[in-house]
Amino acid sequence: MNIVLKLLRKEFLLEFRQGYALGGIFLYVFSMIFVVYIASVKVPAPVWNVLFWLIMLFASINAVVKSFVSESGSRQLYYYQLAPPALILLSKILYNTLLLLLLGLIAFGAYSVVGGNPVRDNGLFLLALVLGSSGFAIAFTFISAIAAKANNSATLMAILSFPVIIPILVTVIRLSRLSLGIMTDTTYGIDITNLLAIDAILLTLTFILFPYVWKD
Amino acid sequence: MKWWKIASIVLLLYTFVAGLLIPLKPGLTDTTPESINSGAAATLTLTGYNTRFDQADPQQSRVWLRFDSAHILFGRNLKALDAAHLQADFQFPAELPVKGEKFARFDVYFDDPVNGLLRLENEIQVAATASPDSNALASGWATDTIKNVHRYQKMSFPILPNIYESGRNLYYHVPMWFAMILLFGASVWFSIRNLSRPSADNDRRAKTYAETGLLFGLLGLTTGMLWATFTWGKPWNNDIKQIMTAVALLIYFAYFILRNSFDDQEKGARLAAVYNVFAFSTLIPLLYIVPRLEMFESLHPGAKGSPTFSSQDLDNTMRMVFYPAILGWTMLGFWVADIRIRVTRLQDHLQDID
Repeated sequence: MNIVLKLLRKEFLLEFRQGYALGGIFLYVFSMIFVVYIASVKVPAPVWNVLFWLIMLFASINAVVKSFVSESGSRQLYYYQLAPPALILLSKILYNTLLLLLLGLIAFGAYSVVGGNPVRDNGLFLLALVLGSSGFAIAFTFISAIAAKANNSATLMAILSFPVIIPILVTVIRLSRLSLGIMTDTTYGIDITNLLAIDAILLTLTFILFPYVWKD
Repeated sequence: MKWWKIASIVLLLYTFVAGLLIPLKPGLTDTTPESINSGAAATLTLTGYNTRFDQADPQQSRVWLRFDSAHILFGRNLKALDAAHLQADFQFPAELPVKGEKFARFDVYFDDPVNGLLRLENEIQVAATASPDSNALASGWATDTIKNVHRYQKMSFPILPNIYESGRNLYYHVPMWFAMILLFGASVWFSIRNLSRPSADNDRRAKTYAETGLLFGLLGLTTGMLWATFTWGKPWNNDIKQIMTAVALLIYFAYFILRNSFDDQEKGARLAAVYNVFAFSTLIPLLYIVPRLEMFESLHPGAKGSPTFSSQDLDNTMRMVFYPAILGWTMLGFWVADIRIRVTRLQDHLQDID
């Protein structure tokens, strides 16, 4: 646990020292929201919902892609000597979850200001955001570990991620539709269980498969 | 020569012969006119498919309209125009079976020893008229006491409205899906083996099963889209199984891009295997999630209101062709993959990779 905290601290330090990377992602979100707003101005709630999650999807891929790609192979090898690889992966997943959650909140705030805020049930929306961010973080962190090994990382990251993220994305969009009051369904507990189950499956697979990814 | 290769040829030949040559059962496709006023006399013309009305014995043929068991109406003066057309006269009572309704819908029935019992649901609409003919019966509905209906005896496939002869596609379209899933499953299996015990052979198998699975997935999607255009009106219908297949195809296209983006083949094989296992596992939760999404309504069997086969519609004659077809196509898929594995193995030997 101590190691994970230290690794987390390292991630945060790295991020803040190269402030341009973090700033770049936030600017990416703001510009994207503004472009979406300019293109569509006022949209009905169902479209707002889809647009918001698409912004989240693209921003997340861009935010997470650098978690393995930005570090050179030899530096990663050095890290794996210092700490168990599984813990390095865990700290990166935790860090990315927090980053995506922050990104989601900022995107929500910014999009509410320009595009209006149709959310009725704030608690449920926040829950969707938390579960969505953790799901995105797990899947994208692992995919970025794979993509970092290849030559054409940025494109690979996107094409490998899209089919994998579909189950999480559609469930999260459904939950968020409920929080917007677009539809009513009292059995959304199953959706939350589904999301938690997917997150658990992905997390388990990630740890089983990670040894085959980092060892060269 | 392995036994299952012969079995696949035999089974596929059998499904081609039986699946394409066994005729559909006789059925009703249309009647004219479709809407009639109550209290009027009308001559209905029934249009049949695969029927032999001209061989029907007028003494043993019966035509009737049915609303419910208490309200049926027999046709008189049956006259076969040709094998596919039959006329019958009806005198409609002035009162509808349900009082106060504007119209009532009737099923059309025909029965004789040659064609068996034919039925067309909700075909005739009888509208209430304000001023019925003076000589119309006030209430002339008979109760349903019909017995001794006939069954069509010859070997045949069921006829379903909206599907008709395209139902034969069941033997060629559905097995593609089975073959695809099993081939992808085999690919994942060899990917796992390649991770635990890396070898060029395991990797070759994982890659080739994925390739063949892609081929069968594309064939399944194409045959499905052709069929959907005919029965559902358009090739893409937001259907769960279409979405699943499309996601699976996306995963395996990405898999091949990933494989080929490494200079080091062994490394590419290992990471592609990791992605194969990871991505295939996300297909399984999709099976549980998608049915909860209102945006995709399945038109495939099992969904309500789907104009297609349900388990009741799959009669024993169809099963006799359908199950061998699944086996035959799946074995053919593995045979294709087997040949491809041997070819790539020889190519690798020539290049001294092995």
